[in-house]
Amino acid sequence: MSLTRMFKVLRKDLALGPRSPIFLWAIILPFALTLILQVAFGSLFAAKPRMAVVDQGASEITASLEKMDGIELTVLDNPDALKDQVRANDFDAGLILPKGFDDAVRSGEKPLLELYIGGESLSSNRIILSVTTLDLVRQVEGTAPPVDVRIENFGNEGLPISVRLVPVIMMYALFIAGAFVPSSSLVEEKENGTLSALLVSPVKASEVLVAKGLLGTILAFVMAFMTLFLNKALGGQPLVLVLVILWASAFSAVLGIVIGTAAKDSASMFTLVKGSGIFLFAPVAFYLFPEWPQWIAKLFPTFWAIDPIWQVAVLGKGLDAIWVDLAVSLAIAIALVPVIGALSRRMQRKLVAE
Amino acid sequence: MTEAAIKVEDITYSYGDLLAVKGISFEVQPGEILGFLGPNGAGKSTTIKMLTGQVAPKSGVAQILGADITLDDPAIQARIGVCFEEKNLYLSMSAKENLDFYASLYGIKDPDSIEILRRVGLADRAKDRVKTYSKGMRQRMMISRAFINKPDVLFLDEPTDGLDPVTSASIRTTIKEEAARGAAVLLTTHDMFEADELSDRVAFINDGVIVAIDTPENLKLKFGKRSVKVRMRDGSGVREEIVALDRPDSGDRLKEVVGSGDVLTIHTEEATLEDIFIQMTGRGLVG
Ligand SMILES: Nc1ncnc2c1ncn2[C@@H]1O[C@H](COP(=O)(O)OP(=O)(O)O)[C@@H](O)[C@H]1O
Ligand SMILES: [Mg+2]
Repeated sequence: MSLTRMFKVLRKDLALGPRSPIFLWAIILPFALTLILQVAFGSLFAAKPRMAVVDQGASEITASLEKMDGIELTVLDNPDALKDQVRANDFDAGLILPKGFDDAVRSGEKPLLELYIGGESLSSNRIILSVTTLDLVRQVEGTAPPVDVRIENFGNEGLPISVRLVPVIMMYALFIAGAFVPSSSLVEEKENGTLSALLVSPVKASEVLVAKGLLGTILAFVMAFMTLFLNKALGGQPLVLVLVILWASAFSAVLGIVIGTAAKDSASMFTLVKGSGIFLFAPVAFYLFPEWPQWIAKLFPTFWAIDPIWQVAVLGKGLDAIWVDLAVSLAIAIALVPVIGALSRRMQRKLVAE
Repeated sequence: MTEAAIKVEDITYSYGDLLAVKGISFEVQPGEILGFLGPNGAGKSTTIKMLTGQVAPKSGVAQILGADITLDDPAIQARIGVCFEEKNLYLSMSAKENLDFYASLYGIKDPDSIEILRRVGLADRAKDRVKTYSKGMRQRMMISRAFINKPDVLFLDEPTDGLDPVTSASIRTTIKEEAARGAAVLLTTHDMFEADELSDRVAFINDGVIVAIDTPENLKLKFGKRSVKVRMRDGSGVREEIVALDRPDSGDRLKEVVGSGDVLTIHTEEATLEDIFIQMTGRGLVG
């Protein structure tokens, strides 16, 4: 195995990439899915609700809002500017606190509270901002609320559907770029006979396979990272995140090499992909439907590579939460190496004889 | 005598039950062109596939540049050039990109791809994608790729098949140049003129067996029946008489024919390689 020759093949594949429709598809797809998702559900990890305040009298409410982590507060001077900006959707809501508002509340005067809500704001943000504001007013008044509010999360720890869709997009990005690009690149070289030409040169089959695998890994890594970035789901530990994305990308590429060496031509590759697609994608459905028995997801090999991304990027966990996942997927990948070896030898025989 | 560049001893190959190559032996010396002449299905390509390591012989041994072909040795592969029967170029790359890429696989630092393309008449189209090339241009590209590493051994599988005469002639010139440089060339063809013109020696291959192997001259001398064709005026028309040479009564017969009338032309007729092939195998080279 010569790394130099392997890199020559990889460099050629990277240069050829943009001339291949599948390569372009792999690049466009995650962006397209993210865009569709954002239009449908709003930004995945929607930025905090944005509130603007014009405080004409140093109200306690402003001070309390400023202390809240979950709200992005901007203090403005001019009530008209505030209304304009809420109208322009620069803020989800705008609050105008007139001079002496706190005192008026305390003396039971029931002053007018001017809260403007942006027409394009998400309903979740509207609720958060209105309830918070009313709660703060009540605190100023100094009375206990008339009811006891207990919040209970429904579904998977209360994660919205848009978040639960992250693994689906990730799986697409990883599979198309990591598995489909290298397998179709390999199959194309078989069909065009260029693989035979490579193999009579000093290049070895193993060097071609590693080059294709790296092609998939690099592309999948970039696409998976871009997808998480676009969806603002980068978790809190960048280094661990890079590790898990890199690993999932390499894992997809290993699957891609299995598919690429097994398939005789593009027709049989599509059959293989269709046949194995359900199997590969099944685990991500369990993130979508948390009410399903989750252990079933663990029966699918891809679960072990995609779960670390979920844990780190979405749930913000660290290495300690994912090492089992990593160990299992590593074991699966290692078990696939001899399979690829056997498929590669069969592939070389089939290049010439039927 | 120098060591043979290609040395083949009794190799066989079968596709399933079909025995395609039935034990052939030959050698090719550096600088020599050996022409494999035989009809479709004779086993020419299969032989090249074995010698270039694409398939392993079922039996027998073969050495390229002194190394066993089944070793798949990159150092040996670096010294051979192969022109495949089926065109297998990167169509979405330009001619120059194709050559530069292959050159890099051989560890060639500054490949003179344009110069190589000039030799096959493609220099002015070097930057165009091979996709836009005609059939003949692609074939010339295939040849130039086989030359990229200045190989010591060249395998050319039907290098001029389906090309126009002008292109074929220019490709033949480059093949001769490679042999003159010192390359051992194994070339397959079913074109007797090509085999005759290019080959230092010709191997007749039929049905997986080499039925004869020698210089074209020797083959013709040994197996070809020479004759003389005499055209004579015959009343208002023309009469043709063919007199076989190399027979006891050839001289008398010729005198008799020439004396029998008004001679227009006399030509010696030499057997073609195809005539000899037919004589030896009972079948022609095409069809
Ligand atoms: N891939 C293959 N599978 C099965 N039979 C083959 C294959 N390639 C060639 N053959 C058969 O092997 C014999 C020799 O073929 P080949 O070496 O291609 O001959 P040539 O190059 O002289 O035309 C033929 O009978 C051909 O049909
Ligand atoms: Mg052939």
